[in-house]
Amino acid sequence: MMRAIRDYGIFLQRCIRIAFVGDWRYYAWMGALTVIVLFGLNAYAKQLVSGLISTGMSDQVSWGVYIANFTFLVGVAAAAVMMVIPVYIYNNEEMHDLVIFGELLAVAAILMCLAFVTVDLGRPDRFWHLIPGVGQFNFPASMLSWDVLVLNGYLLLNLHICGYLLYCRYQGKKPAKWFYIPFVFIAIAWAVSIHTVTAFLYVGLGGRPFWNSSIVGPRFLASAFTAGPALIILALQVVRRVTATTPSHAPIRDTAGPSAPAPRSATLDDLEKLARHLPEFRPVPMEERQKLLASATVLAVPTGATLLRQGEMDNHAFFVLEGRIVVQREESGRFRVTRTVAPGGQFGEVSALNGTPRMATAVTEEPALVLRLPAEDLRRLMQYRELDQVIRLRMTERLMITDRALLTLRSIVQVSMLINVFLLLNEVFKEFYSGNLHVVSSKYLFVGLHGHHALVPWIWTAITFNLIAMVLLLLPVSRSLRWLNLTCVLCIAGIWIEKGMGLVIPGFIPTPLGQIVEYTPSFNETLICLGIWAFGLLCYTIFLRMAVPILQGRLSRANEARPVPGIDAAALESTGHP
Amino acid sequence: MPTSEPNSEFRVNPPGLDRRSFLRTSAVLATGLAAVAASLRPLLDLDDYTSVDRFLQKYYKELTPQEMDLVLKRIEREVEKQYGIRPHVRDLKPMDGVEFVYALNLTRCIGCRKCVHACVAENNQSRNPEIQYIRVLKLPHGSLDVEKAEHDYAPESVPEPGYFYMPVQCQQCKNPPCVKVCPVHATWQETDGITVIDYDWCIGCRYCEAACPYWARRFNFTKPSIPPERINPDMAYLGNRPRRQGVMEKCHFCIQRTRVGRYPACLEVCPAGARKFGNVLDPNSEVAQILRTKRVFIQLKEEMGTSPRFFYYFDV
Repeated sequence: MMRAIRDYGIFLQRCIRIAFVGDWRYYAWMGALTVIVLFGLNAYAKQLVSGLISTGMSDQVSWGVYIANFTFLVGVAAAAVMMVIPVYIYNNEEMHDLVIFGELLAVAAILMCLAFVTVDLGRPDRFWHLIPGVGQFNFPASMLSWDVLVLNGYLLLNLHICGYLLYCRYQGKKPAKWFYIPFVFIAIAWAVSIHTVTAFLYVGLGGRPFWNSSIVGPRFLASAFTAGPALIILALQVVRRVTATTPSHAPIRDTAGPSAPAPRSATLDDLEKLARHLPEFRPVPMEERQKLLASATVLAVPTGATLLRQGEMDNHAFFVLEGRIVVQREESGRFRVTRTVAPGGQFGEVSALNGTPRMATAVTEEPALVLRLPAEDLRRLMQYRELDQVIRLRMTERLMITDRALLTLRSIVQVSMLINVFLLLNEVFKEFYSGNLHVVSSKYLFVGLHGHHALVPWIWTAITFNLIAMVLLLLPVSRSLRWLNLTCVLCIAGIWIEKGMGLVIPGFIPTPLGQIVEYTPSFNETLICLGIWAFGLLCYTIFLRMAVPILQGRLSRANEARPVPGIDAAALESTGHP
Repeated sequence: MPTSEPNSEFRVNPPGLDRRSFLRTSAVLATGLAAVAASLRPLLDLDDYTSVDRFLQKYYKELTPQEMDLVLKRIEREVEKQYGIRPHVRDLKPMDGVEFVYALNLTRCIGCRKCVHACVAENNQSRNPEIQYIRVLKLPHGSLDVEKAEHDYAPESVPEPGYFYMPVQCQQCKNPPCVKVCPVHATWQETDGITVIDYDWCIGCRYCEAACPYWARRFNFTKPSIPPERINPDMAYLGNRPRRQGVMEKCHFCIQRTRVGRYPACLEVCPAGARKFGNVLDPNSEVAQILRTKRVFIQLKEEMGTSPRFFYYFDV
């Protein structure tokens, strides 16, 4: 028990340490975010003193950009589930690791949601009145009490799933299915619930005909599943780019291929060495080992040698006996380390077993000794249960942000955007065609009312962005990453406006007594919003900074004691010792 | 030297505290703390979050009579300290067999807004920014569509021909949407039909303000300011005691008056006799008679199903 706590402590300590280390880009980014957070904090301190009068809100428009951002971000958090579904329900292995990125985004988004609700409170000092059992919790009557429960529940669920999977990966242990799979499925249902409940906050108000429409819930989900995955597409590409290898680690084209180092036949000593690093190999009996010697070879390779190359055909699998191998993958013209392989680890087994082209390039990071096995020998070894389990487990543990995974997300965005535009059309039709008196808020939003039209440019910008994005998504051009990125930006901006300024504000205009008072966020209010966004990005960056090396195998229990050579050259620069 | 090892970023044990890195770490730490402190500087002007008693004060319905006495005393002290006048703060309970109802004669109302200002004075509402519980709508004859209402009419004299006036305040609904949505039970309906707010329990989320179909609720966007000489010292806990920044308030049928047998301030001041108030459960009360005899009376936005205890009627 004590040991488990100590181990976990070391894990956390290393995670926290790594959050403070990076290259100059990392420091510049984090520094800039910190400055914005501090400005936001300063603005919030001012708001605490003067009250919400420092915002643009009034008794007429009593919710503003805080609640608008909150609504948008609940959607982003809910959309993390869209990453989970293909992996766990359709077993799409390409997206396996991306789930963790999605769920970390959900965690960051929920933190931002909680911050936005807090800054919107008139008496944040009384937050404890909301704690069930301590304060007075109006459950189930108030939709806001539902929101408190589902948002915090969702935060805990995602923290548990990500935290557990990452810690298992760090320890090199196989995660216990019963300890996370049920939570994954609960989280899927829960994600739908957080956004539905948030929609019900508005839908449940009979006195506000603009919101009191049953289509708001479905619209919220459709827009969330457009903007969320769009945000994830962008985030993944940033991750991919910043984890791309520096030129010194790019495969050296002129070194010879796998056959260049003189192979020698494997000996029983070599197999014993493997068993030392790979305990699951130990049960393999002597006669089996003897059989292996017939075809297995051992290569002693110097630093920088390429053992196998992405795209080539070859049916050998490799085990590392000594030294360290980096596996890098070329995506969109950039090389990225997908993992490092330490003694006892394997590589090249997927293409060997499947007879497919090599998915990545393997290069030695330090002088290494590797064992090369033909695919049929590997298959025979996999008849031993322990070995089979560990090899299969490792096959799924790959940090690969492939273009195909991004395109899977693109199709989610595509379908959601179509549904989103369709639902918006439904709403507009119902409002304007029937022509009853409740159309006033929509009139104010889309064309202006009695000379007031502050929101008209906003909503038409949103509609234009959404339509352009929809057309781009339907065209094959958005399969190219550059166009896909533009499309994602349009989706996010369009939906942020449509759901924020376009949904929250017009609900208040005109008031139930017919008064038209317009709303513009104040400077201080805007600073607070920027501060919270910066805070969210800061959190997400730190999460990724911790998660990526764990997924790559560069931060693991195995290297707690022994330093791993050849990590980021950039990290070296950052410490000031070239 | 430890920092020259290639993967210092993944080390378990921190590098030895050599002089250089120690200096650098402390410099970064000091700068960070200074920046946080500087950004929080405005909090020095905060005078509202001080007392522990206030922070820990219990919910109205959970206060024992003894605790309530202490709280009332504390409020009296606080008001005296702030405004220099000793108030009398009471916790008035609803009377048995009483359900208050308001009836307003639209034929008589002349739109003078005397009720609006009497209300502000009676209920210790903030004067800057001014918070008003009653909004008088000026409507053209023949329509109850609030979209056609004028809110800020200011003619030489009222009434103006071709128009009628409709004062709107909290309708004290039998089925109040504001009570349903409050996440912390800070607002509820009492047995005499008045929906009240525990100003010391409200968290200021303004969900009730969004839910009210009559725009009857008001929020203290900043610290209320009342000239000390205008303080009405006759106060009730759930009524007109001074509110604080960041909480909701609204019309409570002048609890401090009506629960001791007086009329609301807006009724007393009305020069046209348009306002009638009383116990609908007493068949001899004026409001019971009006509801029995008047042929047309209106519950505003009846289709909402809120069932207001505020009735508008015409002389016919």
